[in-house]
Amino acid sequence: MGILKRVRDGLGIMLAVAVKELIQFRRYPSWVIAVFIWPLLFPMMSVFSARALAGPEGQALHAFAALSGTTDYTGYIIVGLVMWMWLNMTLWTLGSFMRSEQMRGTLEATWLCPVSRLGVLLGATCSQLLISMVNLTVSLIAFRYIWGFRIVGNLGLTALLFILSAAAVYGLGIAFASLVMWVKEANAMVFLVRGLFMVFCGMTYPLAVLPGWMRIVSRGLPLTYSIDGIRAVALAGAGLADVMGHIAALAAFAVVTLVAGFVAFRWTERRVLRTGALGHY
Amino acid sequence: MIGTLLAIARKDLIMFFRYPINAVFRIVEPIMWLTPAFFLGRGFSVDGTATGFAAYTGTGDFFSFILLGSLLGAYISAVFWGIGYSLKMEMDSGVLESNWMTPVPRLAFLVGRTLTSLVVTTLNCTGVLLASWLLFGFSAGGPVGKAMLITLPMLAGLYGFGFAFAGLVLLMRDANTLVDVSSFLVGELSGRGFPVTVLPRALMVISLVLPTTYGFDAVRALLLGTKPLLPLGVAAVVLVGFMVAMLVLGGMAFSAIERVCRARGTLGMH
Repeated sequence: MGILKRVRDGLGIMLAVAVKELIQFRRYPSWVIAVFIWPLLFPMMSVFSARALAGPEGQALHAFAALSGTTDYTGYIIVGLVMWMWLNMTLWTLGSFMRSEQMRGTLEATWLCPVSRLGVLLGATCSQLLISMVNLTVSLIAFRYIWGFRIVGNLGLTALLFILSAAAVYGLGIAFASLVMWVKEANAMVFLVRGLFMVFCGMTYPLAVLPGWMRIVSRGLPLTYSIDGIRAVALAGAGLADVMGHIAALAAFAVVTLVAGFVAFRWTERRVLRTGALGHY
Repeated sequence: MIGTLLAIARKDLIMFFRYPINAVFRIVEPIMWLTPAFFLGRGFSVDGTATGFAAYTGTGDFFSFILLGSLLGAYISAVFWGIGYSLKMEMDSGVLESNWMTPVPRLAFLVGRTLTSLVVTTLNCTGVLLASWLLFGFSAGGPVGKAMLITLPMLAGLYGFGFAFAGLVLLMRDANTLVDVSSFLVGELSGRGFPVTVLPRALMVISLVLPTTYGFDAVRALLLGTKPLLPLGVAAVVLVGFMVAMLVLGGMAFSAIERVCRARGTLGMH
């Protein structure tokens, strides 16, 4: 009964925070516009750069195909960008959630309430998930009609890889929120972490062009497996057997990052309460 | 007047260096954006030369092309964020009204910020150039002085445009998306990351209307030997015209909007 009550209270606070965040989001029309406009614009630079690199007669496409296995550079880049945009939104939202409360001076008051603090963070995660889903839907429609992007492979398998990737990304996001509370600097931390993923995960280029040491680093990041696996399934029609390694790696990353995220949050929670640094910024 | 400008510039520089992590990231972040471009270029290269790219532009050195675009693009971002958005930050901090109560011409606040923005952006660009030399082996050839000379009217024109944009932000009050999207679009359509000749026809028309396109193009033609869109003399005339028009119109637009905001009493609202 005690556990049931705790679960019910936890879900209640998650829902309350999610609704509060969504109301706040809706109050700033420019934030809403941004969700719709960036998917249209963001691929511009990489796709047009790739078009220029391919040459007017597509004379350099064979070089790209030899490294990537496809001449469809637009689809190749778009898959990488979608996964990176998801990570970027998660880091910004979860990283700035605690930080904004700290700076507004409401974090201490919120944490004095007799509710689960993890529930508060998970509530923000839920609202972020909803906004990201809208963003993803808009992105897929825009990519289809503006950039001619099509998923040719198994949709269910693509979705499975995406869900596992999203779980790993949320684990990272929760750990990241804890780090931001500790370091008290959201912007620079987002730039650093998203930058590392941008450089090492093959967002717009085949990993084969990386030097050996960079390829080793890339194997330690979940997005590398997400991008590579989804490209194989969605663009080249790979089957379950072809991406079993990717699924296993992503499942392991999801478990490890979620556990690490919760542990980091608990540890940070205790630390800021003990040091009295909760409201500092 | 000069004392006021220097005081504002000094205040902004002090604030900038009070956040050392942010100051460092102004150099690190562009490198993080340039690195995928470097590897994308390698993905299309044969023996280190981007042959397809050379057919479009006349140079097979994709990284230098994109690096120069990124450096000039940094000034576009500086205009939109550092000048256009600066008044919004003062609004949010609640100091705009008290600053404007002082007996200083309003435009001086923007010119003072322009000085800081130029210094900081130039320092950042120098850092990015140094890092690109160390990490990617970038080296500049060609008449650097001439390239800098042709950049000057473009920058002056851009900052003039920034005055008008600051007025617009003052009017709109919540303008993150406006600033972000405008900065991105002007940079991309000026050919920051690709030759504008790859754009679809409708976008290319917009691109060819932007004077900044000719600034980017002329600097690359001088330093990298790319095929220019216009003869360099004509590009220089376009940029000087842009500078004069933007400095006059930008200043006038800002003063007009500022009067409207004071009449409405919306200066302190955000």
